[in-house]
Formats: sequence, structure tokens, C-alpha cells
Amino acid sequence: MRYNSLSDIRVVDLTHYIAGPYATRLLGDMGADVIKVEPPAGEGGRRAGPYRDDGRDGQDRGGMFAFLNLNKRGVTLNLKHQRGRELMMNLLRDADLLVENFAPGTLAAMGLAPDALRERFPRLSIISISNFGQDGPDRDAALNDLVLYARGGWTYPVGERTREPLTPPGSLAQYVAALYAAIAALQTIAARDMGLGRGQHVDISILEATVATMIYETVTFQYSGILRQRAGKRFAVGPFMIVTLKCKDGYAGLHCVTDKQFEGVCDLMGRRELASDPRFASALNRYANNDALLQIVEAFFLEHERKWLYREGQRRAIPLVPIPSVAEVLEWEQTKARNYFETIDDPVLGPIRLPGAPLRLTSHRAQPSRPAPRLGEHNREIFGQLLGVSDGEIKALQQAGTI
Amino acid sequence: MKTIFDGKLRVLDISMGWAGPLVGQMFAEMGAEVIKVEDTHHFDWWRGSLSMAPPEMQPIERASVFNTANRGKRGITLDLTVERGVEILRRLIAASDMLIENFSPRVMDKLGLGYDAVSRLNPRVIMISMPSFGSSGPECDARGYGNTVEAMAGVTGLTGYHDGDGQRYTLSNALGDPVGGLHGVFALMVALHERQRTGRGQWIELAQVEALIPFVTEGILEFQFTGKVPEARGNRHREHAPHGVYRCAGDDNWLALACENESQWRGAMRVLDLELLTADPRFADERARKANEDVLDAELSRVLATMSVDDAVSRLSAAGILAAPVNSAPAVMSDPQIQSRDYFVPIERAVVGTHLYPGAVARFPDSPLRADAPAPLLGEHNRPVLREMLGMTDAEIAELENSGVIGSQPRQYRAAS
Repeated sequence: MRYNSLSDIRVVDLTHYIAGPYATRLLGDMGADVIKVEPPAGEGGRRAGPYRDDGRDGQDRGGMFAFLNLNKRGVTLNLKHQRGRELMMNLLRDADLLVENFAPGTLAAMGLAPDALRERFPRLSIISISNFGQDGPDRDAALNDLVLYARGGWTYPVGERTREPLTPPGSLAQYVAALYAAIAALQTIAARDMGLGRGQHVDISILEATVATMIYETVTFQYSGILRQRAGKRFAVGPFMIVTLKCKDGYAGLHCVTDKQFEGVCDLMGRRELASDPRFASALNRYANNDALLQIVEAFFLEHERKWLYREGQRRAIPLVPIPSVAEVLEWEQTKARNYFETIDDPVLGPIRLPGAPLRLTSHRAQPSRPAPRLGEHNREIFGQLLGVSDGEIKALQQAGTI
Repeated sequence: MKTIFDGKLRVLDISMGWAGPLVGQMFAEMGAEVIKVEDTHHFDWWRGSLSMAPPEMQPIERASVFNTANRGKRGITLDLTVERGVEILRRLIAASDMLIENFSPRVMDKLGLGYDAVSRLNPRVIMISMPSFGSSGPECDARGYGNTVEAMAGVTGLTGYHDGDGQRYTLSNALGDPVGGLHGVFALMVALHERQRTGRGQWIELAQVEALIPFVTEGILEFQFTGKVPEARGNRHREHAPHGVYRCAGDDNWLALACENESQWRGAMRVLDLELLTADPRFADERARKANEDVLDAELSRVLATMSVDDAVSRLSAAGILAAPVNSAPAVMSDPQIQSRDYFVPIERAVVGTHLYPGAVARFPDSPLRADAPAPLLGEHNRPVLREMLGMTDAEIAELENSGVIGSQPRQYRAAS
């Protein structure tokens, strides 16, 4: 869905793959005019899966591109060509933001050095997202999700004590970095409009964004001196029972922290006497006797179905949920009742259901999302109408491979 | 250098746990005046439990996570179970720009502080509600926290070993919480931008699960395209091999290693003195390595088990191979890249002393974020806030203290003494 709160903000989007495109997608969802600038061959993310098995994706995009680039317009531009750089400058003239996630130094090598751009366009802010930040000894090192999770501390505490640590799924931390970048984009605009009067160059390190979420580890370790170990099905061993348990027909997640929640769990199990059992009567005791408590809860879950546990747990105000597959998330009554997933008629992939805007404004009604652009789809619209390039020149630029 | 808001934005934060408080914390980083409101009875549950230590130890002032997520705020207490407490909250709302709450749906209505009432008090207020699953729909009353939101978003269902018995694992950072909080900050920045144009505030609804679901879109698309429910892949990758976490010499030292193309594969085997493997027909190309991944991992594990992880990483990194140690918390904090950029900042906080806390992620040259102020003690700023914001006299404030509407000790202690 697309709101119009940021309709007076123009973003020139030089991003690729996930962290950059999701940042500008968030801005686009809120109404910013996002112009995605790709090299004439398209950005690498166009080729990322998952793919439809009928081969349709090969022509322009895979599924992730279709998702990450909703609510953007797309142009192609070869920045190695003099005329390409000139058109880029013309785009930046009226832009508030340039967002990029190239390796550090790439922008300057393209003739778009951030300092020079800021001098030329004082109101422009440049948001640079990179693996490790714009400086530091490992600035230019390679990174992927596996290595990022490992280095950033997400992997070490997850999994069985007797086995190798377990890597989280997918590219979750890249999205976290995207959030920091989208926030930073609006922070620079707020700073500019509230008195600073000029834009800034923001440096976002994906590694630092990943580490930022690890406060349980980094801060708690200093306080307690205790290194958190992999705790298997438990989130951690502590004065609580946060745990992922097998039940009759799958898995369920229980979050039991407060005395009240613990009383609820005892009641759920039909064992209210446990609430006053000296082994479990306070948070401190539940910490000391965590194993014994887990055994009792584990045995109970194994005998029940997740739907029953969910209903009966929640009836007692216990945060207890079934653990759905992504397929079940897509079909969940709650997301359906709230019209959360949006059906996009993608020009290449056909109708696909995609997560809707992650937040809901109430100041105005949201419009349906615009599908991700085909490669160079808006060349004529942007270069012609917006920048006043003639039809004849657009044709010539196409032939020269500039667009 | 001035911060973004330079004290010219006032945020009232009545949220608890992590997601809501993170929103307030990040506005404090921007230089907003953020006022955290707690109740001496139902204080923020992230402070932990009074039973953890005797009263003189002040256990609820020793919660690392609370002290992180509430940095830079002024702390006040208000008993919201009595009308006088709610009345003071109303007056604070009338004098604020933003209101952050993450109660379960309907709590604000019960307090008479649903958005309609809030906007009558102050039409410029931007209010954000952060229910776990939304404030409408059949499951809106279900309780959720970071880990339960993570589960309902589909993340937990994807987190398991590739060869496990189906056991699923919750992540170590209660991902639903920081992700909900970051979206909350983004939402408020959007609404603030709109307010500059329209002069009006608004209500924002942020269902935390809806903020996290987009992170698993890859799986959602895979299911739509193939009809198959994606499996947990553990440390492995859909296409690439090797791609895993391998034990190295020592007690609990692990190497994350990935090769995404032939030159990385050859390069990795060369620096690990495993060139023999590149000649093995079972590992001739990526398809073959993927098909024989168990054997490949066994071969790698055998050699790596005798190597120091630091040695392996430095050799691999020098060759441009994707590799890192699986860092525990202290290792993250002493990572040379993290250290060279001074990511962690020291903060002195009453009761607990000085520790390092994660700094602001976005780095601005001209309006720096400030992540270096401590979290408040319970009710620490009752006097200055009530005096400055509402013009109360010392006598009025003392009377509120005596009648228990405000306080700086948990009410249980008060009742016991």
C-alpha cells in the first residue's frame, strides 16, 4: 500500500540487492517519489530468486526484485558515459536524498564523490549503506548473510549446546540495516528543515546495525559476567521460560516471564499447586530450577495440539503461540481480516501476494502499490517529461547504450 | 554541535519492554526531550523482578536491557489506576508532540486515552500504538512479545538445523522487538514530516508482526511459486557449498565459511592446504559439491578441527574468502572493525556504574545522534518534569508523593515497610 505523507520528497535510488532497495521501498511506501537508477543491464537483484518454474522471471526479474522495488519508478543510466553523469546530476538537482549501497569508494570512482555532490547540491543528503561502514580496517572485506550473522553475534547463542551454532534464516539483518537507513534518511531531512539548512552524508554499517540488536548479549554480559551459551529450545536459561516446544502436531512458542504468566501456565497445565511450589515460587527460584520446570512444561506440551495450546494459553493471558510456516502466515485469519497481504499484478510474474505496508497511518487512505518497474520502464517519463530531454536525444542515448 | 531536535520536540513514552522503549530511546538520541512514564506498582516489566535481590540492592535498577533501551530519557512515575494519575497524564499529553504506547489493544480506551480523546487534548500529538498482532481482527487480543511475534511472522518456522528432527529455535535477540521499535521510529518520523505540512498529528497503528513478516518474503514467494513450504536450511545455502559453521581447535570456537563461486572455492582450499579436495570429482563443481555436501562438510570439519579459528579466518580473509569467527558477545565487542569505529559508547549510570552500550548506528556529521546518556532511575525526574511541564509547586509534588500517585520506590516495598 502506498501513503502520500512523503510526497514532497524525491529520492534518487542507486541501490541494489536487499538492504538498499528495502530502505527506499519503505520511503516509497510512504509516498516519496523514488527514482530507481540502474545500469543498462539492470541491478544484480533483478536476478535473485525465488523464481517461477515457468521461466517467466528470466526476462526481467525474480520474485525478490518484484517485492523490494514496489512503489518506485525505474530508469537506466550508464554512469560511465559523460552524458549519463550529466543526466544523473540533473536528477540530483531536485532530489532530497541519494541512497546507495555500493562498496565504499565506488560512488567517488563513478564521478559522484559525496563531498562534491553536497557542495553542488546543499539540500541533498546522501545515505550510504555498506557492509562495514565507510572506514575501518575491514572496510573492503567480503560479506554474506552467513558471515554477517556469525560476526555480528546472532549465531553463537542459537542452537544445541552439543552441536554447531545455528545461523538464522534468510537475510534478516540486511532488513534491519535497511530500517536504520530509512530512518536516517528522514532524520537528515528533519535536521535540514528544522534549522540546519543543509543535507548530510550518512554512514550506515550493516555490521553495526546487526550488532545493535544484540543488547541481551553485549550489555548483559558486562553486567553479569556470564556468557550466554546455546540453550537449545530455550531462548536462554534465566528467571523465565521462553521456549520453543514440540507439541502433538508441530511446535509452539511460550513466553513466560512474570509471576502472573507463570500462574497462568500452571493453571493451563491443571497444576496450580506448582505456582506455590518452593522450587518455582519466585523468578529467582524458576531460574535456579529451570531444568526441572522445563521438563514439566515440555511433557505437557507434547500431549496437546498447538491450536488448543494457543487458545487456552491466550485465554489465560499467556503469550503462547503456534509456530506457523510461512505458508500458514500467508493464510492466517488475522492477516486476512486486516487485508495485510496485497495482491500485486506484476507485469512479468503475474499476480503475487506480497506483505503490505508494515505500518498504518490514519491521516489518509492508502492507495494500492505500484508494481516494481521493468528495466528502464520510466526512461521516457523521467528523462523526457522531468528533465526535458527530447525524444530524438532519448533515442540516440538508447542507441549509444547510455540508457 | 546541535542535535536534530535540540530539545524542541517532546515525546511521552508510556511503553514497556523493548519495542516501544526503543522508539523513545532513538528520539532521545535525536535530541528530543523524552519522558518515560512508569507506575510504581506496574513499573516497566523489563526492569525485571523484585524477587531477584533484596531491596537495598535495588534489583530493578540493575536490568541491563532496561538500562539500554531507556537511555537518554527522563523518568517519572504515575499511578494510572487512580483518576489523579490519569489527569496528570492528560496534562502531559496536552504539552507533548508524540505519545508512544505498546499496551495490548483497548487499554488506552479503558484509561479514556484512545486516540479520539488524545487528539481532543492536543490535535498536534502523533500517537503510536504498537500492538503485537494489530488492534483489529480475530486475534487482536492475543498476547505477544518479541519471541512470539517472531514466531507468528514465520521466522521461527524457518529456524532449524538442516538435518534436525524438526526442532525450531527462537533467535537470540527477540527480533520482533527491535524490528517493531525501528518501524515505530520510522513511522513517527513520517508522521512528523506530514505534520509540518498539515499542522495535524495522527494515530499510527503498528502491528509488530506486520513489520516483521516482510523479512521472510523470500520464503513467502518460494511457497507461492513452487507450492512447497520452504524447509529450514540451517547453516546451509540453497545453491552454494561449502556454506556452514565448522568447529575449530579449542573449547567452543567456530568458523563460518562460505564459497559462492569456483574461484572462492579454489582459493579457500588453497589457503587451508586442502587443494586435494579441488581435484576430487565429488566436488568438481558447485552442483557436485551441493550433492555431496555431507561428505564435503565432514572433510572440512576434520581439517578445521585442528586449526585455530583466528588463523583460519585471517588466511581466508586475506584471500578474499567469506569467513568469520562465530563471535560471542565479548568477541563482537573486541572485533577490530567494531572497535576502530568506536561503535560501543561508555555510559555511567547510577547503581550499576560504567558499561559499554551499543552506539547510534547512523552517523551524521552535522547533527550527531547522542546515545551516551543513562537510563533514568524509577521516578528520578518526577520533580523537574512536573515542575517544568505542568508548573507544579514543591508542595503539590510532595502531596502527590504522600498520596502515592508518584514515587521513586516500587509500591511493594512501600506496602511492606
